[in-house]
Amino acid sequence: MNPIKAVGLIAALSLGSALAQDRTQTLIYGGDWSDLITMDPQISYEFSGGLVTDNLYETLVKYEGADLSTLKPGLAESWKVERGKDTWEITFRLRRGSKFSSGNEVTAKDVVYTFERALALKGPGSFLFTEIAQLKPGATRAVDNYTVVVSIPKTASPGSFLSILTFNIGGIVDSETVQKNAKGNDYGREWLTNNSAGSGPFRLVRWDRGSQVLLEANPNARIKPKLQRVILREIKEPAVLRTALESGEIDIAEGLTPEALRALAGNPRFRTLKADSLRLNYLGMNVKEGSPFANKLVREAVRYSINQDELVNGLVQGNGTKIQTIIPKGLLGYDPRTPYNFDPARARRLLAQAGYPNGLEFELLVSTGICGGGIPCADIAAKVQADLAKGGFKANVRAIANAEVLRTYRAQNHQMVLVGWSPDFPDPDGNATPWADFAARSIAWRNSWNDPTAARLANQAALETDPTKRVALYRLLTDYVLKNGPYAVLYQPAVPLGLSAKVEGYVRNAQGQVRFENISKLP
Amino acid sequence: MRNPGGLLGLGLLLLLMAVALLAPVIAPDPIQQNIAQRLQPPSAEHWLGTDQLGRDVWARVAHGAGISLRVGFGVVLLAVLLGVTVGLLAGTLGGAWDNLLMRLTDIFFAFPSLILAMAIAAALGPNLNNTIIAVALVSWPIYARLVRANVLALREREFVEAARALGASRIRLMLRHLLPNTLTPIFVQASFDVGGAILTAAGLSFIGFGAQPPTPEWGAMVSETRSYIAEAIWAPTAPAMGILLTVLAFNLLGDALRDVLDPRARD
Amino acid sequence: MFSYLIRRLFFVVFVVWGVTFATFFIANVVPIDPAIAALGDNAREEQIREFRERYGLDKPIWQQYLIYMGRLLSGDLGNSLRTQRAVAEDLKEFFPATLELSVAAFLVTLLLGVPAGILAALQQNRATDVAVRVLALIGGATPVFFLAVLLQYVLARQLDLLPVQGRLDGFSIPPPRVTGLVGLDALLAHDWSVFVDSLRHLVLPAFVLGSFSAAVLARMTRATMLEVLAQDYIRTARAKGVGPRAVILRHALKNASLPILTLLGSLLGGLLSGAVLTETIFSWPGIGRYVTQSATSLDFPAVMGVTLLVGLVYALINLVVDLLYAFLDPRIRYA
Repeated sequence: MNPIKAVGLIAALSLGSALAQDRTQTLIYGGDWSDLITMDPQISYEFSGGLVTDNLYETLVKYEGADLSTLKPGLAESWKVERGKDTWEITFRLRRGSKFSSGNEVTAKDVVYTFERALALKGPGSFLFTEIAQLKPGATRAVDNYTVVVSIPKTASPGSFLSILTFNIGGIVDSETVQKNAKGNDYGREWLTNNSAGSGPFRLVRWDRGSQVLLEANPNARIKPKLQRVILREIKEPAVLRTALESGEIDIAEGLTPEALRALAGNPRFRTLKADSLRLNYLGMNVKEGSPFANKLVREAVRYSINQDELVNGLVQGNGTKIQTIIPKGLLGYDPRTPYNFDPARARRLLAQAGYPNGLEFELLVSTGICGGGIPCADIAAKVQADLAKGGFKANVRAIANAEVLRTYRAQNHQMVLVGWSPDFPDPDGNATPWADFAARSIAWRNSWNDPTAARLANQAALETDPTKRVALYRLLTDYVLKNGPYAVLYQPAVPLGLSAKVEGYVRNAQGQVRFENISKLP
Repeated sequence: MRNPGGLLGLGLLLLLMAVALLAPVIAPDPIQQNIAQRLQPPSAEHWLGTDQLGRDVWARVAHGAGISLRVGFGVVLLAVLLGVTVGLLAGTLGGAWDNLLMRLTDIFFAFPSLILAMAIAAALGPNLNNTIIAVALVSWPIYARLVRANVLALREREFVEAARALGASRIRLMLRHLLPNTLTPIFVQASFDVGGAILTAAGLSFIGFGAQPPTPEWGAMVSETRSYIAEAIWAPTAPAMGILLTVLAFNLLGDALRDVLDPRARD
Repeated sequence: MFSYLIRRLFFVVFVVWGVTFATFFIANVVPIDPAIAALGDNAREEQIREFRERYGLDKPIWQQYLIYMGRLLSGDLGNSLRTQRAVAEDLKEFFPATLELSVAAFLVTLLLGVPAGILAALQQNRATDVAVRVLALIGGATPVFFLAVLLQYVLARQLDLLPVQGRLDGFSIPPPRVTGLVGLDALLAHDWSVFVDSLRHLVLPAFVLGSFSAAVLARMTRATMLEVLAQDYIRTARAKGVGPRAVILRHALKNASLPILTLLGSLLGGLLSGAVLTETIFSWPGIGRYVTQSATSLDFPAVMGVTLLVGLVYALINLVVDLLYAFLDPRIRYA
């Protein structure tokens, strides 16, 4: 082919773009959805899965906008919590006339079916029901067509249970349709992987794995969306994401680099957004016997070695905020104090005091891939490594698959890890217990940190019902862990987003939920 | 040697080796960060600009030269050792052994190389040495075939028959006569494969199955900086040019070597 | 001929078995825990234990291998730990995209490589020849992943000529899935605009993927053509006054086709490997990206499924090449 012909062909192809759909009625949302493995609300426990199923299914109660503290009515128009003999009795009144995409009405039997389904399928998020809410099979009863009563033991917190119900695991499924498509005892699990049967504003039309998810307005839904179609487009490369947004291939781009965000902010065709998250990226130090980090002075030295301001302002560039305590901003009990300033000289003194006058060499484990705030973990690790060197440490970075990092961490075989943590539900206890209580076998355990004071404070705060007293307890706990714990919290990442200026009504709460029905597009 | 391509290749290779050897002298520290100087364009201070951590790109490219050469030579050395051993054994032992060894070779030949190398690197854990092992494990079969074919051809020749008639042992035969005669095609093939190995290893590093940070490996550098191509096109381009020139050097050399050493196989 | 075919088919089966055997044991060189990979950081110990039991990860390696082979013989490739469904299902979903991309890249290889090689040979040592040789040298030394990133930046971002990712525009309605090849499915649905859209999306990744093999092919074609052109019978034909065009087409190309064919076989196999990098960069939902993601999360049943499939395709391509060889060159006989 001669060059002139080649250019001609390319030009012809670029003009022939297919405009089969009405652009103002279609929203294309680009991002890394590669963790999407199922559309089943009771099984899905990935961020992307939640993003989709939250729009396919309704929950009894929900949060609205960015507010994660006030429960609003969902399928239940009202609810009340009563003290039983050994239980909490929670009664939900369903509103009449809510319909599934099949046209069936949402009734109490669907709620019972859904909760029993979650318990029977034992999906990765089922511990929210079984452990946190201590919900048992048979504990959910339909009193009449529109009244459901759930009993949970006195030892569980009804507040936590209600907040768990806002997640996709509490997404009510159409029991008739699901059961019709069930195979054996699978509660329709196989079918719901690729199909939807909910009363949410959208229904699942087509899922091309690894490529895109196509949602269309659910014609029978109570909540009418402003757009007819939402497409989630899987794009992992930040540079491609940016180009796709700029060329109009997508309307929203999630996961841009700080530079891209800054460039877009100066362009009137786009808006940028740094959505809050409840994630904390931190260094975990294994304090098991014989480890150098067992010495409190060494951990202090690490904390004084991190140039957090440079990390947050220079590298993360505002796609994250500075934080040193273990409860993220946005939850009750968040403590904004940051007493550890970059002081390498002090770090060296502390290290010498601890018996390492010539410095200390160890291995820092980090995952390959992106670490929150759109920054590759390897870059964060390289920055931390350089800072630690100034404080007298020699950190040998080993970047391996995330699964390998977690395996090593869980087996307590690390010296230091750089990882992130997101609470399982939007309550300070979602962080306090895992980080402070060794017996919870979560991250305090992984770092071999067995501290009765921290554990006692965490348990006490979890069960405290008076908000003021609870805040005071968390203040004590976070301060204690900050100074004694095996952690150095690095930053709280934000989710960097670029949006076409035509997109209106986009809100992403800190749990990663986005209500597509509120989004509209200008022509 | 009237071969401009070969001369160019040799020149490039010598230059690369010089850069690799002198990197600590002619270039600054490749892992020294300066976040405030992030993604700066090329200047008198930073000849090739800086990357997303404010590291000097020239320093990283220069230090990366040695790494790429080590990977290229390491892979080929391992592959030749393995391939020649298998080929010699198959060719001289013959019979069932020949069959077994050559079927093994066929299997590795049929493997999609990058996918196998990825599986090996994933299983062994990603680091530069494992990358070398992984790429070598998918590169050796060609040598086994080359050597075996030559051994079979040579066996029929008179001097080998004469030596055997004089009572030379099999092993002595192999070492004294067969090996030297198969060296030429191995050498030509090897010079091409160094470039190929560098490309494959860089590809592995690019998708995260290779060098570890902050190692200035070229493929990993392109990978780390590709998200910033719009702001700092120099950051991924410089290491990519490093790969291109190195591979080009070995390909040119391979061409020239083939013309000189093995005129029959001229392309 | 028939017994040769049987022998070759038997060999294909043997190679594929070897490939799975090797991958299986590579996968078990080090103790890896795919359970955590699948379940994530917040998973409870009990969930991890259940997962291991469900996928037989708690059994000794040789038992796992026997179970795997037993299933394989009945056509079951096992379950992916990452996507949590049958690997065969995943391959069925992702292979068509790779096939589409590889075929397009193969066409790029052929359409760029062969004409460029012939042209260079006919114009030996003139400007065209030098240009082809230099381009071929550069093309053979450029890392595919950088070419992809660069072209995305220049052609798509700066010039806004072509889309940067995916197989179709988001605003296009995808055609009903029949073959899984989007272009073909669009034609079957008589949807021309979607067909054109799918071609637009193919251009960049196919060019990137095909460029390396096009460079190799151009060099090879040029060399072969030069050799053939120098042979006596061509000179005779030329002397007899057969026009240069006819000479090239009838004699030279026929004689040059054998070595080119051999090369094409191995190049097509190489394309499948190259797809790993190209698909990752272009968000192309094929098995190349699938295997990368699987290897990253240590999902070895999926990695084995892909190596098995690619090994099979590769072996079959080589078989076809050998048969074509016999067809083109009557001197070769298969006893």
